[in-house]
Amino acid sequence: LKLPTPVNPVWAFALRVFAWMVPAFAAWYYVAPWHSRLAGTIARPMIDFYAPGLVTAVEYSERAIVFVTSVKVHAGGGNLALLLPEVNPLIYTYGLALVLALLLASHARWWKLIVGALVLLPFQAWGITFDLVSQIGIRMTGDVAVQAGIVGWRREFAALGFQLGSLIFPVLAPVIAWAALERARISALAGGAFRKRAESSEGSTP
Amino acid sequence: VSIEAGCNGVEATIVLLAAVLAFPAPWKNKLIGLAAGVVAVQGLNVVRVISLFYLGQWNYKVFEWAHLYVWQALIMLDVLIVWLLWLRWLPAPEAPAPVAAAAT
Repeated sequence: LKLPTPVNPVWAFALRVFAWMVPAFAAWYYVAPWHSRLAGTIARPMIDFYAPGLVTAVEYSERAIVFVTSVKVHAGGGNLALLLPEVNPLIYTYGLALVLALLLASHARWWKLIVGALVLLPFQAWGITFDLVSQIGIRMTGDVAVQAGIVGWRREFAALGFQLGSLIFPVLAPVIAWAALERARISALAGGAFRKRAESSEGSTP
Repeated sequence: VSIEAGCNGVEATIVLLAAVLAFPAPWKNKLIGLAAGVVAVQGLNVVRVISLFYLGQWNYKVFEWAHLYVWQALIMLDVLIVWLLWLRWLPAPEAPAPVAAAAT
């Protein structure tokens, strides 16, 4: 008698994550106004450190962050105006939905959901920081970058920071956070060969 | 249709490459994992581009949601699943020779 092959646990896990992504994205979008404010609050000292005196105030709309800067630009008619760049924080915070879906699909304890959400905040703040810095230091023309003091190595690092903050951190940080919080789950999903290889690798470390 | 950085699957491929190379496994298995992984990630990325094209024609707000948030997460989920499947496929390491036998 040949019994049917059991479902690969990785595929079963993938389906659970996929199913949890729907409510997780809905929850993330619902709390976005408050969650973005939290990420923006952490971003403020990062911006002050990177470009001291650049931002004088931060305004939060429902799903956008507006930075009041000390940079003056021509507003037409010979008038000067303060530059008010806007950042869409959702581009950097959707990882919250991914980490929640991964943890819920792993049947993680409730406190891990909170830890997972908190761990992502500095990475989300990084994304917001370098979105603003790259807008002013790289994408805007004229003497805007010079006024803001984003020149030389600060301008070069702004490009790298923006790439990391927009392309790598938003998706990689949730997966790393999940992996760190659910090591036993990874071991169970990856199977016995994984455990043996991981153990032999740790054993051979000098 | 313009496929910019962040939508070409290169970052996801780099993350998978790093994860496969970092794990202790024979080079032959790593190369097979990389080849299969690149096909899986880039294959799903083509599906992403096609779906975004049609979503953009249908509803711009839905396109923005799928483009900026949902597909980014799905591509990284694809990387994670491929990596887990590769780990599961890896053969168990050969047991080391007994110490007593090695000493003789």
